[in-house]
Amino acid sequence: MKALNLKYQGILTLISRLVVGAVLLIAGGLKAFVPAEAASAVSAYKILPTQIAHIVGYALPWLEIAIALLLIIGISIRMAAIVAGGIMILFIGAIASVWVRGLLIDCGCFGGGGVIDLSKAAAVHRTYALEIARDCGLALMSLYLYFFPYGLLSVEKSALPNEEI
Amino acid sequence: MSKQAKATTGGDHFTRWLVIGMVALVVVTGVIFSIMSSSTKANESFAALKGYKLGDSVAASVNPAAGFGLTLNPGAPVTIDLWEDPQCPVCRTFETSIGAYIDTMVRTKKATVVYHLLSFLGPESVRAANALMCSADEGHYLDFHQAVYIVQPALENSGFFSNDNLVKIGDHIGLKSKTFTDCLTKGSKLELVKAHADSMPTYKVSGTPTVFINGKLWERTSNGFDLNEFRLAVEAG
Repeated sequence: MKALNLKYQGILTLISRLVVGAVLLIAGGLKAFVPAEAASAVSAYKILPTQIAHIVGYALPWLEIAIALLLIIGISIRMAAIVAGGIMILFIGAIASVWVRGLLIDCGCFGGGGVIDLSKAAAVHRTYALEIARDCGLALMSLYLYFFPYGLLSVEKSALPNEEI
Repeated sequence: MSKQAKATTGGDHFTRWLVIGMVALVVVTGVIFSIMSSSTKANESFAALKGYKLGDSVAASVNPAAGFGLTLNPGAPVTIDLWEDPQCPVCRTFETSIGAYIDTMVRTKKATVVYHLLSFLGPESVRAANALMCSADEGHYLDFHQAVYIVQPALENSGFFSNDNLVKIGDHIGLKSKTFTDCLTKGSKLELVKAHADSMPTYKVSGTPTVFINGKLWERTSNGFDLNEFRLAVEAG
């Protein structure tokens, strides 16, 4: 296992960087230019006081973009991996908390009829599970990058010559 | 594994701080950009209130016997109870199709209309409900109510219904007395807002908009809110 990891570490690191970076870049890019939507989405979690939720909603997309660029280009990978992993853990916690509290956060209003559709609730719960699984995967990749930050196609290189690794 | 980890600990501190600084710069610039674009957007939506003419004053009273509802024009043969949340998008749809008819029924004294202002969509609903109740004291509930739905943003709790923006809404429609702005910014009606929310279970209301005509739940048969259907229901009593 160890030998296998050593053999493929360079490419595994590159893949992790690109996957985590691309996901963060897309997620951040989609939200950065619709600040009202991002602010509204964060306050829908009902974890933070609204005012703070709005600031987080405004700031998080830009943090995601900045971290994504660092990962993709390959600068300060270890630090970027810590932040990326932290963001993923926050998301996992936030989703788990709405799930536990039974909030159906993508529906916002009670809709036209006034009753929550139970079949819809099941679908929302499945979405929560998938989102948590996805974020766990990304968090694990970030963890891998913390231990093996140096791989192929990276601006930053290991301080040690390759044969010592 | 540990060897590689060790290799970076003695890394270049200058580069690290440079990178941290750049990330902070991107985030701060982004936040400023987002705040500015949100406030521009809010001001743009006020343009829809341009040329609004404040209607005649209509007295409103709080009726403890009707879940503390804001009662307009009491004593008419028909009573319409409306339950709504100022941030609820479907309430906006209701207001767009049926609001003008309800306003006319009040102004021509044909119906008693009781407004129950719910705030389950979040703190911005609470603020907007407080402002609406303040406008009732000024006799301009119908005007302010209409204006709130005209400018209602598509998204809930996005920061739009701040006290500042609510004062601006009043400003745009000509409701700018000091008693109104004081009541709004001090949250003078927050207890009443809570009383409205607490009366939900008594009336078995679980969503908005909910309408009772003479105490009977209005169950619409059409998909949207059909004005004719509503009018017939009101006329039937």
